[in-house]
Amino acid sequence: MIAAMDIAFYTATALYVMAAVMATRYLWGADNRALLFANRMLAIGAGCLVVTFALRWGIWRRVPLTTVADSLNLLVLQVTVIMLFIVRKDSLRALLCFHVPPLAAICLINATLAHGKLHTPPRELRGFPLTAHVSLAFLAYALFLLASMTSMAYIFQAQRLKRCRTTGLFQRLPSLEQLDHTLCGLVRYGYMFFVITLVLGTVWAWVDQDLLATRWWLSPKVLLSVVMVFFYGLAFHGRQSGRLRGPKLAYLIFLGFFSLLIIYLVLALMGLNSYNFWGTAA
Amino acid sequence: MSLVVVGLNHHTSPVALRERLAFPAETIPAALLRIRKRLKGAGAVILSTCNRVEVYVHHSAAAEELYSEVRAFLSEWHGTPEAEFRGALYEYEGKETVGHLFRVASSLDSLVVGEVQILGQVHDAYLITQAEQAADKVIHALFQKAFAVAKAVRNQSAIGRGKVSVSSVAIDLAVSIFSDLSRKTVLVIGSGEMGELALKSLVSHGVGAVLVMNRSLEKAKARLHTVVEQAPSLVNNGEALALDQLASHLPRADIIVSSTAAPGFILHLADFRSALKQRGQEPMFVIDIAVPRDVDPEVGELDNVYLYNMDSLEQVVNENLRMRRKEIEHCMAIVERGRDQFARWMHGLVAEPTLTSMAAELGAIGERELEKTLAALPDLTDEQRREVTHLTERIVKRILQHPTAEIKREIDHHDPSTVLHLVKRLFGLKESM
Repeated sequence: MIAAMDIAFYTATALYVMAAVMATRYLWGADNRALLFANRMLAIGAGCLVVTFALRWGIWRRVPLTTVADSLNLLVLQVTVIMLFIVRKDSLRALLCFHVPPLAAICLINATLAHGKLHTPPRELRGFPLTAHVSLAFLAYALFLLASMTSMAYIFQAQRLKRCRTTGLFQRLPSLEQLDHTLCGLVRYGYMFFVITLVLGTVWAWVDQDLLATRWWLSPKVLLSVVMVFFYGLAFHGRQSGRLRGPKLAYLIFLGFFSLLIIYLVLALMGLNSYNFWGTAA
Repeated sequence: MSLVVVGLNHHTSPVALRERLAFPAETIPAALLRIRKRLKGAGAVILSTCNRVEVYVHHSAAAEELYSEVRAFLSEWHGTPEAEFRGALYEYEGKETVGHLFRVASSLDSLVVGEVQILGQVHDAYLITQAEQAADKVIHALFQKAFAVAKAVRNQSAIGRGKVSVSSVAIDLAVSIFSDLSRKTVLVIGSGEMGELALKSLVSHGVGAVLVMNRSLEKAKARLHTVVEQAPSLVNNGEALALDQLASHLPRADIIVSSTAAPGFILHLADFRSALKQRGQEPMFVIDIAVPRDVDPEVGELDNVYLYNMDSLEQVVNENLRMRRKEIEHCMAIVERGRDQFARWMHGLVAEPTLTSMAAELGAIGERELEKTLAALPDLTDEQRREVTHLTERIVKRILQHPTAEIKREIDHHDPSTVLHLVKRLFGLKESM
């Protein structure tokens, strides 16, 4: 079972890298076949990740969501499924050029740094609110990651239009309106899922108070989540009210996501990403 | 057998000569009949467009003879002495003909490289030939392959991307900003000729609503009437307005085409700032084709406003042309691949009579031996006789399979006559086959 899981995991990584190569080739060659090939590789790669997930669940009899490898696998899988849903329309397929390379990079990082974690049992997630909290958190991250990459495409298109540079990739990417629509959808659903995540997390913290510190709500991770909710709330409501639209919104989403990601990584490296920052568990 | 093309195009001849040698569509069936009278059993296609006149012929005669027959046909049909057009003609044979047609169909030989009309014209020429039953096996295969190569060139390169006329560039830009024009409103200001062209293009691409604005309301109404005639669906979505209402109607417009004769700017930064605010920052596409310009160039600095004037539209056109030229090399590689594949297929045709007679010879041997065997076994049931018959057929087929593939492979790499001569001797076939 473990060997089968390894094979599925590394095959998925190889397929994502191949998809990224094909998507990059499309950037230069305008060969539609390269993009279709990338699309297929992603679908098969996602299938392999599902197999990895299922085998890991089967081996340890626990939902595999807690180790770094599990988290990244889940993130990549969710991003892929959403991405494949978005690019089912031919006119949006060229977005793969922006979406696939970062995804392949995550897969490679996961394969090189976190592969050992695949052979250790995942921590048990007690109760439905916690399992749903973790799953939905990753779903929201997946949507935010895709939104940031789509915002890159928007910025690229808008800049090319302003500079009258309308050849090359410009002609293959979707219209600004389609990009704006996609971006809004990603932010809307990401924001919605993230709010639900926080609510479920609060319910879990309330129910399982004995596991957390007395002032868990002051931990940097929770504070960062609150900042994220405010940030995406601002982006979402700004767009809905018509105050924030176009390149400004795209820049905000792109830079905002990466700033939050960097803060999260810094906290993780400093060991400040637990819920027990202030005080100890009761 | 020879496959040739004789023709002239915009590279080799002036328009006056091309006009004299052109074939109006309705005369092509009769012209094909005439060629086939001169060259019995020939497969022929006549491709006549405003930029080229070409005659493709496949016939058993030698290429030189076909060239001269086609020249004589052109001269006779158009009543033009051969000497007047001979210098403008190009004549290709075999693989060169194939490559030429593939370049033409892929729009690599067109005046505007990458234009789409030529493929339709080649298709029409082929359809006429088909309808007149003037195509043989090679001509059919040649044109089918030409369509496949043209499709590959379009799909695997950027040759057809990017428009090369100002009005079509304007449409392309509009579609790059708004995917669906049917929900967009166009505001046309002034009555310039270029504005008229851009409006026509936008209307033909199905814009949702049109606001026509002029200094004189009467003129605006008259123009709107023309627009509605072109697109009756706009009858309830068209509005004629006077120029003094510009500021109040600007926020309604997604696309603005301005071509007035005003001496200065009629649209300023403040107008667009206010319009964007009222529109909830929805993008605006502004085409200023007036000289002097109607729109303050600072407007282009605003987020969500995409402003183009004549210079920037020309810049887009030139960039598209440059990009198409850059793609030619890549496209030529696709064409050459297709040409080589077709040439190999044609090469294989040389072996067909020999392979057919080889199959017939072995089949006949099988049948003779089968008859003898069945005669020697009179007690066999009907089912057993059928089984023995099938067995014989299967054996003959299996014996033929390998040599057939090998012969085809060999004639790709060696002199076909030597290979086929050897096959004939091995299987005792008649030399004339």
